Amino acid sequence: MPLSTQSQGDAEQYVLVACLDNARNLSNILKAITFKDHAIFSATPNGLKVTVEDSKCLQANAFIQSEIFQEYTIKEDSVGFQVNLTVLLDCLNIFGGSTAPGVSTALRMCYKGYGYPLTLFLEEGGVVTVCKINTQEPEEPVDFEFCSTNVTNKVILQSESLKEAFSELDMTSEVLQITMSPSQPYFRLSTFGNSGNAHYDYPKDSDMMELFKCTKTQTNRYKMSLLKPSTKALALSCKVSVRTDSRGFLSLQYLVRNDDGQICFVEYYCCPDEEVAED
Amino acid sequence: MNCVLEGNAVKAFGKAIHSLSRIGDELCLDPMSKGLALRSVNSAHSAYACFLFSPMFFQKYNLGPEQGSETVQCKLLMKSILPLFRCLATIERSVERCQIQINTPNDRVKIQFFCRHGITKTHDLCFEESEALQAVFASHLCPNVLKAPARVLGEMVKHFPVSQEEITLSITPLRVSLRNYFEGGNDHMKIMYTEMSLHPDEFDYFQIGVESDITFCLKELRGLLSFAESHCLPVSVHFGAAGKPVCFSVEDMILEATVVLSTLIDSESRGPSQPAETLTVAPRTPTRCADVVPESPGEADCRKAAVPAGMELVASSQGSPIADSALLLLLHHLSEPHYQERANSTPASSSFIDLYTQTYIQTRFKGFEASGRKSS
Repeated sequence: MPLSTQSQGDAEQYVLVACLDNARNLSNILKAITFKDHAIFSATPNGLKVTVEDSKCLQANAFIQSEIFQEYTIKEDSVGFQVNLTVLLDCLNIFGGSTAPGVSTALRMCYKGYGYPLTLFLEEGGVVTVCKINTQEPEEPVDFEFCSTNVTNKVILQSESLKEAFSELDMTSEVLQITMSPSQPYFRLSTFGNSGNAHYDYPKDSDMMELFKCTKTQTNRYKMSLLKPSTKALALSCKVSVRTDSRGFLSLQYLVRNDDGQICFVEYYCCPDEEVAED
Repeated sequence: MNCVLEGNAVKAFGKAIHSLSRIGDELCLDPMSKGLALRSVNSAHSAYACFLFSPMFFQKYNLGPEQGSETVQCKLLMKSILPLFRCLATIERSVERCQIQINTPNDRVKIQFFCRHGITKTHDLCFEESEALQAVFASHLCPNVLKAPARVLGEMVKHFPVSQEEITLSITPLRVSLRNYFEGGNDHMKIMYTEMSLHPDEFDYFQIGVESDITFCLKELRGLLSFAESHCLPVSVHFGAAGKPVCFSVEDMILEATVVLSTLIDSESRGPSQPAETLTVAPRTPTRCADVVPESPGEADCRKAAVPAGMELVASSQGSPIADSALLLLLHHLSEPHYQERANSTPASSSFIDLYTQTYIQTRFKGFEASGRKSS
């Protein structure tokens, strides 16, 4: 592969080198979290984590494990930087993002460390493009303190059923209300729009429901504008887990299969809009 | 009111709402003992549509005790209800049952979709109580009647661009034609004129009482044509001279759909024209049970006689064939043999209207016999 022979000599200078035969395996998953311009990259030996935040109320993370990459070399325990995500996506799609079978853009992503740009070598059909994107000091992502021990309610649904609901949601409603309960209505999405209310109910024994673990009845409202970006992740995913904790914080975890059938994860954390008295 | 629709009926119901959305911004739900009517009128009162679903269309159809003779008519915004039925493919795929309940106390219509995988979607929509508007249109008095499979009409109109606002329908004993209509002041050199004609034989039923050219809004009609095509129903067209409204209707055992459009007063005029008469749109009174107001029970039968299935012959008051002179008065343009008959002259009967009606009915029936055409 032309890219690997080219940069053999510089290999020692980079603290992070990640290669993909198909750049779409990275760009598709990044599109699921592109609702703000800037993203925080955090690389560890386990893989790459990309974080995007909105006003400290919403956080989206995309995880691409090291196994997904054809080559993944990291010289430090943790490498972090911030880049303009829109620019990065434009570079990854620089060859036009064609979806013709057998044609894909190969990627070699390299980073020398603090103060250096992120360098992308992209190749398609023998043509090589080099992109250098300026990096910034990574901001510390908000810690939502969402841990498994605090989780009160959890369901795992097949995305297909939620995709329909989300595409039909009444956007004139300012909030999306999520009710999870061990008894009726089990799992309910509600909107309160200009023309009236709408409720989407998923029973616990539905064949779309892969897991249902609700310990107590909780109703929480989340700003529709905050959750709207998550529909991109939903569209890519095949399964989604919905969890709320005792504070009403929401965690949405999406299982995404890439072009090669490998699994990656995207998660969204969202603060509740207001406390609703529990039934 | 509480009703339940199953499977394919939900899709048909949604398609009706799509058709009605082409007419006006508001949808009126009118539960009656003879069925649930969905109506819409445009703001200029120049277009009216009504879809009437008989109780047999529903798996369950109950009018509540509060209804009785004074039914609750709900006016909803089209933009509130249309999104619920927007994607018909999804409805076909995933909706098993739909329940519609009208709750007078809290002014809400509850529409519930029971979908595959146990999923339930519930929508509570606000409505306004209102008087149902209904077009008063005596289609049995129309001299011209056409009936053709929806496909035939659909194929005629598809030649016109979607942006085409108005078209002119012309009828002579020899042909029916459709052409696009442009208001005066446009540069004739820039406009593409399209006209197509059909021979009367292309129609399942062809009757001409008066040669006319009527110009009406095509956009408002497309919804009904699309509905009729999807149900493979024939479309009946009742009309008269320019300026009088035109009525397009389809019906089968369990539903009836009607679109009444006003026509321009003079379609030859190149100046801006106003419709000669807006449709007479009157509040429906609870006692009447037919959309088209019959003057007497006999005439309601006359209207049914216009629809070939279930023909009824209405005897003339004299019990004799019609007078040639009366016939020629109304049908002076015709030369086709099967529209004329040799009849003994008889004294004219009571009023002109009665005579006209009876003549009209008998002519039609005899026309069928003479041409030997079987009604479909």
